[in-house]
Amino acid sequence: MDKAKKGWGAWLLIGIAVTYMGFLIVAPISALIVGAFEEGLLPVIKSLTTTAFRQALSLSIRIALLVVIIQTVLGTMVAWVIVRHNFLGKSLLNGIIDVPFAVSPVVVGYMLLLLFGRNGFLFPLIEKTGVQVAFAVPGMFLATLFVSLPFMIREMIPVIQNLDRQQELAASTLGANGWVIFWRVIFPQLRSGLIYGMTLTLARALGEFGAVLVIGGGVQGRTETTTLYIFRSLEERRLIEAYSASILLGSFSVIIVYLADALKRHQMTRNALGVIEDSFTAKLKIE
Amino acid sequence: MKRNRIFLLLLLVFALLSACSNATTSEADEVKLILGAYTTPREAYGEIIPLFQEYWQSQTGQWVVIEESYLGSGAQSRAVIDGFEADIVALSLEADVTRIQEAGLITHDWKEGEYHGIVTTSVVSFAVRPGNPKNIQDWGDLTQPGLEILTPNPSTSGGAMWNILGLYGAALRGQVEGVPGNDQDAAEEVLKAVLRNVTVMDKGARDSILNFEKGIGDLAITYENEVLVGRQSGQNYELVIPKSTILIENPIAVVDANVDKHGTREVAEAFVAFLYTDAAQEVFANHGLRVVNPSVAALTTEQYPPVPDLFTIADFGGWDPVMTDIFGPEGVYSQAILQVQRGE
Repeated sequence: MDKAKKGWGAWLLIGIAVTYMGFLIVAPISALIVGAFEEGLLPVIKSLTTTAFRQALSLSIRIALLVVIIQTVLGTMVAWVIVRHNFLGKSLLNGIIDVPFAVSPVVVGYMLLLLFGRNGFLFPLIEKTGVQVAFAVPGMFLATLFVSLPFMIREMIPVIQNLDRQQELAASTLGANGWVIFWRVIFPQLRSGLIYGMTLTLARALGEFGAVLVIGGGVQGRTETTTLYIFRSLEERRLIEAYSASILLGSFSVIIVYLADALKRHQMTRNALGVIEDSFTAKLKIE
Repeated sequence: MKRNRIFLLLLLVFALLSACSNATTSEADEVKLILGAYTTPREAYGEIIPLFQEYWQSQTGQWVVIEESYLGSGAQSRAVIDGFEADIVALSLEADVTRIQEAGLITHDWKEGEYHGIVTTSVVSFAVRPGNPKNIQDWGDLTQPGLEILTPNPSTSGGAMWNILGLYGAALRGQVEGVPGNDQDAAEEVLKAVLRNVTVMDKGARDSILNFEKGIGDLAITYENEVLVGRQSGQNYELVIPKSTILIENPIAVVDANVDKHGTREVAEAFVAFLYTDAAQEVFANHGLRVVNPSVAALTTEQYPPVPDLFTIADFGGWDPVMTDIFGPEGVYSQAILQVQRGE
C-alpha cells in the first residue's frame, strides 16, 4: 500500500518533469524541424550549400575554436591561481569572473565599441597598429571571449580544489620534478573538467548573437556568423534557410555536449576503478 | 600518458583549424565596396548588385565585390560614425545621413545633383488583414477604441518617424476626419488616440511587419513597399493607402572619409550613379518602391497610383525642425508618448 502511494506521487513527478521539458524543449525543436523539411529534403541541402551560409559557418567555427583554446589555457590558469594562491584582490578577481553572466551581450558589444570605435578610448592606439577591431573579426572574437569567460573558470575551480595534494607530495618525494608532476599527476585529474569546460565554452561561443552583431555590424560574407545569418534569413523571409541553419548549428552543439558528457562519465568510471592511480604508480615503477 | 597526448592533439587540431583563416584569394583586379544600408531595400540590392558587377566589369575589366550590411537606419548611421567603414550609405531618412555628415565623414554636398541624393521613395501606408475586416480606409479609422496597431519605435527606426509624420501631417492638413486643419492641439489629440492603440513597438520596420505576419494586431503602419514585398513573398494582408500621407524619401550618399581611405571613390560614385539608371530603378520598382527616374516612374503609375494629398518633409520645414519640434525631448511625439504611457 505504501508502495502504491509512492508510485502515484512518483508518476505525478515524472509527468510534470516530462511535460515541462517537452513543452520547453521538444516542442519548439520539433516545430523547427517540421518547418525546415516542409518542402522536402532538397531545399534544406540547397540552403546549406550556399556561399553565404558556408562563410558564416566557417567564421563561427573559427572564432569559437580560437576562443576555446584561449579559455582552456588562460581559464585554467585563472582557476589555478584562485584556488592555490593567496594575493591581494583575490576575492575581487573571483567576484568579477561572473560579470559576463550578468551583462547583456548587446551591452558587451557597446562596451567594446566604446573602447575600439572611432571615438573610443583605445582607437588612437588601434589606428597606429593598422588592425581593425570594431566592425571586424578581432572585435567579434573579443566579444565572444568576454561572454564565454566564466564557463572554463567556474568548471575548473572545484576540479582544482578537489585535487589530491598527497599525490603531488608523493610524486615529489619519489623525485619527480614540477613538469612531471603536472603532466603525470595533476593533468589526468583535470582532463574531464577541461573537456566539459571546453564544451560549454564552445556551445556558448557558437551561439552568441547580440554582442557580435553590435561589434561586427553583420556584414555579409565578412562579419556574419551563423546566428547572424539565421537572423538575416528570417528578416528576408527565407525561412527554410533559417530553419536549416538553426538545426545544423543546434545539432552541432548537442553532439558536442553529448560527447563531452560521455567522455566525462567514462573518465569518472575509470577514476572510480583507480585506473589512473594504478597507471601512475606503474609508470613511476618503470622509471 | 596516451590520453594526455590525445588531448594535446585535439588542442593542436583546434589551433590549426582556427588558424586556417580566410583563405580569400584576393585577385589583383578586384575592388571591394562596402554598402551600409537600412533594412527594407535589401531584396532590391540583392538583384541590383549583380547588374552593377557586370556593368563595371564591362566598363573597366575590374570585378567589384560588394559587402552588404543591413541594419535599422538609425543603427546603421551610428555604426558608420562608430567606425564601420561603409563606402556608401543607403538610409531611410535624410537625418541619418546628416548625422554622418556632422561627424565629419561625409564632406561633399550629397544633396546636389538631379535627384538631390534621393534614390527611391515610398508612401506611409497600412497593412490590414485580408478582406479589411475593420474597414480601415484612412487615418481617422485608426482611433477606434480596441484597434490593435503595430508601428516601429521612432527612437530606433527611421520608418517609425515617417509613420508618425504621416499621421501628424495629415491631421495638421485637415485631412483626418473630424479634425480641423492647422490646429496643433487637435492634431496632438489624434496622435495620442492612435498611440493608445499601439500594442507593439518594434525596433525596426521589418520586425514590425514580420510580427504582423505572425498574427499580431489588426493593422500595421508601414511603408507601401514593405506591404508589397510581403505580398510578393506570399503574405495575404492587404495594402491601404490613406488619402493624405507623406512621401518617404530615401537618401544615398558616398562616405568621403571611407572611400578616400579605401581608394574606392570612383567605383563608389559609379555605383550610386548606376542606381538611377533605368535598369536599377526598374528593380526597385519591382520590389515595391516608388522610383525617382521619371521614365521608369511613368511606366509604373498603374502599380503606384498617385496619392490625392501627398506631402513631403519639406512641408514641415525639413528634418532639422522636425528632429527638435516633433522628435526632440520636448517634441510633440515625445510628449505624446509619455502621456500615453502614463495613461493620460
